[in-house]
Amino acid sequence: MASDIRKAETGSPYLTDESKMVGSADNIIIPETEEDVIKITEEHFACGRPITISGMRTGMCGGCVPFGGDVLSTEKLNKVIGIGRDERGYYVRVQPAVTVRELNEVLRKKLYTDLTDITENAVGSLLGEGTDFFYPVDPTELNSSLGGNIAVNSSGPRTLKYGPTRNWVRRIRAVLADGCVMDIKRTDITAEGRMLRFRTSKGEREVPLPSYDYNMNVKNSTGIMAKDGMDMVDLFIGSEGIFGTVTEADLYIVPWHPLISNIFFFPNDSSAYLFVEKIQKSDINPEFLEYFDSGSLNLLRTAAEKDPNLNSMPGIPDGAGSAVFMDLPMDDTLMSNYRKIEILSKSNGGSLENSWCGHELRDREKFFGFRHSVPQIIFEYVAGLKGKVPKIHKMGTDMSVPLKNLGRMMTVYSKTLDRYGLEHVTFGHIGNGHLHVEIILKDMDNLTKAKEAYRELAIKAIRLGGSPSAEHGIGKIKREYVELMYGKKGTEEMKKTKEAMDPRWILCPGNMVEK
Amino acid sequence: MDTLPWKHGGKMRFVVFVKQVPDTSAVCTDINGNLIREGVPSILNPYCESALNMACGVKKDGDVITAVSMGPPQAENALFRCLELGADEAFLLTDRAFAGADVHATVRTLSAFVKKFIPDYDLIFCGKQAADGDTAQVPAELAYMLGCGQFCYTQKLTLSGEWKAVQNYGSEVRECIIGKGDLLSVSDEEIGFRLPSAADYIRAAGIEIKKLNIADIGLDTFSVGLKGSKTKIVSATPSKVSRRGAVTDGSDPAKAAEHIRDAII
Repeated sequence: MASDIRKAETGSPYLTDESKMVGSADNIIIPETEEDVIKITEEHFACGRPITISGMRTGMCGGCVPFGGDVLSTEKLNKVIGIGRDERGYYVRVQPAVTVRELNEVLRKKLYTDLTDITENAVGSLLGEGTDFFYPVDPTELNSSLGGNIAVNSSGPRTLKYGPTRNWVRRIRAVLADGCVMDIKRTDITAEGRMLRFRTSKGEREVPLPSYDYNMNVKNSTGIMAKDGMDMVDLFIGSEGIFGTVTEADLYIVPWHPLISNIFFFPNDSSAYLFVEKIQKSDINPEFLEYFDSGSLNLLRTAAEKDPNLNSMPGIPDGAGSAVFMDLPMDDTLMSNYRKIEILSKSNGGSLENSWCGHELRDREKFFGFRHSVPQIIFEYVAGLKGKVPKIHKMGTDMSVPLKNLGRMMTVYSKTLDRYGLEHVTFGHIGNGHLHVEIILKDMDNLTKAKEAYRELAIKAIRLGGSPSAEHGIGKIKREYVELMYGKKGTEEMKKTKEAMDPRWILCPGNMVEK
Repeated sequence: MDTLPWKHGGKMRFVVFVKQVPDTSAVCTDINGNLIREGVPSILNPYCESALNMACGVKKDGDVITAVSMGPPQAENALFRCLELGADEAFLLTDRAFAGADVHATVRTLSAFVKKFIPDYDLIFCGKQAADGDTAQVPAELAYMLGCGQFCYTQKLTLSGEWKAVQNYGSEVRECIIGKGDLLSVSDEEIGFRLPSAADYIRAAGIEIKKLNIADIGLDTFSVGLKGSKTKIVSATPSKVSRRGAVTDGSDPAKAAEHIRDAII
């Protein structure tokens, strides 16, 4: 197979992502096979020409936005290959451009006809299970590629129950910067202290790891993973393509169980926050806890007035000043959970009557569409602003803090952004101490202020034990926060890791660290 | 008919006939064009949900909405949806003998149910058609068998001195006065789309869906299901429609419009 090569013309969608940052490149190269990826990489390595790896371009930090060289789009590496089974359970082998939505469709509809058995009779065995299976990481953007999810260690709402992408990766196959292929599953290669030693077809390699301890206490996608004795699979997860192009991955799947989605409305921001605090202290175990502040609800109301079919949901109730979204298992705990929620919501101005619930697939999809429409409205707003302010890009926080410090961080968000005079809305993964604060930019002056405010917020989040980037990664937009988190020493050590894996710095230049 | 309590908004008894259908929006085909049914959820027919929403929209305190479906045991899920959305009670007409019913056998079963269990009903609501069958004949034939007026393509129902239905035939919109015992079929898929609340879910979970079989309804096996059907399918073959595209130069809009007119008339 030969790669499709086309000129990267101005305005090409391959030069941007959801951050609306725009880069430049000479060519868009679309390989059809891993052999194509190897050939392209070897050629680029030989002449030191940069390659920026691109998937579905749903990232929010410019990770796939090229700054020179060529784009390598994995879009045709989009097959679900097969099913396997090991002592932990079933896993699915995928190519990198399969999206989260596509994978779950294959599982839900049991579209197994063309899948191969990775282990003996795994496909037949999965078919024989009396239940459906699903991939539990829900990065909110279901059209994101699984390769992209691995690149930034995506998490999303269900991290509360299932953890991030890292927890679900069994094996990775990647083409390194010099064209060598690494095919590793967990425990195949582990570091000796902070040194990874392994052999490729081109000889022995030694890769030093940074000395910092990667913060695993909060959702975190800032910098590369580093800890004593770490697994090499973890080096690729969250590395934003700077160490290699993932061409295959094995991802564990789990049995699906019936869930009921709920959105509970509250009179104001603090009442919803207090409700969440009480839920977390109770024995109710929601699959996730998502928050909408008054600004988010008003954003949705205004957008629905312009487009009544925005998310196919009923009108937001009058008087609702905030909301909490959660999924509950539809098992024998449901009624007692509802009774507890009734008491907790009443004490904060809510009620079971002032809520929406849905357990049919079509309704649950609408709930997630409703949740996803908050960032989507902002993406579209920023895209619309580009005509007038070409250099503008989206500015949304992605910071996490330990739950005990979330209340303090929420106060810091509003006080800081108010001080800068920046309009903003807050929503997201409140159950993980990880809210998204989207700044509604109007002009370049706003963007300058937003960058200053963001830096202040990032410093505060780190001081409170958190991360300046919890799930979106660093890309190019948030690179300065790597040094805030790890200091100059940590950043230099990260560069040494990059140097050892990619001595000519050809892969995804500008992501996370700069030469 | 006694129209006084009817006209003056006394306690009303509404019956909503519903059907469970595959979620046609979730159906996809394999590379050979065959329907993939695996993983396709069953849902309350969207037209029926609109009919229920219309009934709920005019319901006052003390009125009763009864949701009724004929189908296999799993059709209970469609009735549960009706209860969540505001129905007060639900009946599932379920019996192996009901299987394979055509329009006539279906209507005979439904009308027998109404005559026996809710003879004093005030209004019947139906969806225009089922999203899986698309025959759109059940409401009309049910009205005929019950001997009541039928108001198809109903988009709106109001009570202001009289009950009035707004029927939209596309080329013509009519407002008609309806009487006690009449039947409305609702043509829109999205009338008053709502979601239940958690409180609605709890209320629905506490209501028993009553199951009735052929003996309960008082019919014999030759009146219902396949045996009671007047339609016999001898064979089924896919129809072949050949389509031919035509392109016209759009630089002169008047000529382009003439071209389209000539092509379609």
